[in-house]
Amino acid sequence: MNLLENIRMSLSSLWSNRLRSFLALLGIVIGVFAVTAMVSLGQMATAAINNSLESVAGKSIIIQPDYHNGGMNFTRLTEEDINALSMLPVTLNPQLNVSGFYEKKPGDRRSIQISGTRGNLPKYDSSIKIAQGRFFSDEEARGGTAVAVLNPKAAEEVLRTSNPVGKNIRIFFPKGGRADLKVVGMMEALPAMFGGNQPLIIMPTPFLWRTHPDVVRGKFDFCVLKVKGNLDVNVLQKQATKIIESRYNKGTFMIESTESFQTVLQSITMVLQAFLGAIAGFSLVVGGIGIMNIMLVSVTERTREIGLRKALGATSQQIRQQFIIEAVTLTTAGGIIGVASAALILWLISVFVPFLNVFILNPLTIVLALSVSVLVGLFFGVWPAARAAKLDPIESLRYE
Amino acid sequence: MTCESEPVVSMRGITKIYQSGSKDRTVDVEALRGVDIEICQGEYLAVMGPSGSGKSTLMHIIGLLDSPTEGEYILGGEPVVGISEVELARVRNQKIGFIFQAFFLLPRLTALQNVALPLVYRGYNDAKRMSMAKASLAACGLEDRMHHFPNELSGGQKQRVAIARALAQEPELLLADEPTGNLDSHASDEILNLFDHLHNEGKTIVMVTHEHDVGARAKRIIRMLDGRIEA
Repeated sequence: MNLLENIRMSLSSLWSNRLRSFLALLGIVIGVFAVTAMVSLGQMATAAINNSLESVAGKSIIIQPDYHNGGMNFTRLTEEDINALSMLPVTLNPQLNVSGFYEKKPGDRRSIQISGTRGNLPKYDSSIKIAQGRFFSDEEARGGTAVAVLNPKAAEEVLRTSNPVGKNIRIFFPKGGRADLKVVGMMEALPAMFGGNQPLIIMPTPFLWRTHPDVVRGKFDFCVLKVKGNLDVNVLQKQATKIIESRYNKGTFMIESTESFQTVLQSITMVLQAFLGAIAGFSLVVGGIGIMNIMLVSVTERTREIGLRKALGATSQQIRQQFIIEAVTLTTAGGIIGVASAALILWLISVFVPFLNVFILNPLTIVLALSVSVLVGLFFGVWPAARAAKLDPIESLRYE
Repeated sequence: MTCESEPVVSMRGITKIYQSGSKDRTVDVEALRGVDIEICQGEYLAVMGPSGSGKSTLMHIIGLLDSPTEGEYILGGEPVVGISEVELARVRNQKIGFIFQAFFLLPRLTALQNVALPLVYRGYNDAKRMSMAKASLAACGLEDRMHHFPNELSGGQKQRVAIARALAQEPELLLADEPTGNLDSHASDEILNLFDHLHNEGKTIVMVTHEHDVGARAKRIIRMLDGRIEA
């Protein structure tokens, strides 16, 4: 008697107990569904976060003072550092980030984020897009012209308009200074994750150097090095580190790539996935116990059948095989249904949840889920099958 | 008695001692106390006796469902005492056709599938199984009931399916345990007529029964009492 014969026999016996088989199977379906969905959702979330990170930052390297090492007296990047870095095949985007205030009503000052840039920002950072007007040019920036670009939130909060182009804006600095600038453009809002809900005003760095009391001429807060084309970020990161460390002590600056952010992010989501997967795994064990229970009932119920089969020439081995195959058939069917329903739900999520818009169902996840189902069937089927196999034919035939 | 050709069953000094009772106080029960028996090719034999006489034990040992404590048993020329479980299963499958009091048909299989069941364990392919099972059912007059399920058949028909199942194995020996015990007199007659017919065709039949008029249909009767053959 071959395996195929045994599988056919198991299927017909499971089919004749449809309702019970289905209920036993449900535990496995839920378990496999939970594991598959958890793992894949984790992967979808990671991919979604990576995508938005990439769309905002691209492949880039960020150099900023190591605030931990320097304390309050941290060293800032200078124009000379930027010039030294300009030999690398990157687009340099040194920036200043300071805070300022705007007057909502006379006497009611609210804070606004001020960003200094050396010119036409969309050229250096593709995530910045102009919605209205224009960005100030590199020449305007170099000359320290009093021009500004707002984000929509700033336009709404400070100027109470959605068409700020051409208007004048007054910004107050800490310690009493103030500046009047002409708004030349409004950018598109960044995603909320990247501060799109905070009012932001971008102005030429030389203008800030001249007017803001907290900044020092010729210094920057940080510099973004956007990698050109398909160059290796890690190699460029090493080269940038070399340049910086030839000018400063090791540890003065932190030099990180978006790839290293992604690595950190991935390790976080991996831990989360493993954790959720393990919890979901418990339901598989519960499902397996359900299978064992139903198999034990089935063995008891079919005691006479087992006795008859032995009388007709079945060996204990064949009886054992029959019951193990029944258990494995059950759990495998449960696994297939579980994976299929997980795939359906994940696809629905990818269609209807805007953030998780990438459908991911790794073939490895499917293979893993299905092999775990088979293993659960084997593991929880062995004992009932052994009980069936060692039944004494005479006793079994007498069993009422 | 001696047979013309090799006997189908040849037993010498068969004893069977059961241990019964609880773990620390076992009682030895002697079910068979030295049975010698020879059954020839084509014989129609009835084993009779009151309950507890050992006739069921003898039948289980003949059918290889149980092994003797002592003694020698040669079935169809093959010594079968002390052979492995796998060998026992094979010999049962090839040489013994069981017919039970309670029929023992699998309820979710059709008559045809039930009859083909022992051939599954012989490794025959589907086509061969089906043709053998059909021929066997036809021999028992059930060609129009092949695709019926057991619960769609009368008692007599069920037992005829069971007989067809035994015949499909083409065994050396048909072993019937109270084959009419669950049947009314009409159906009993039907089965016993079929046995007569099979006997005329040269099949070897051993039937265990406690009903005298049933046993009387056999050509030779063995009476058991207290684990021994009386006559």
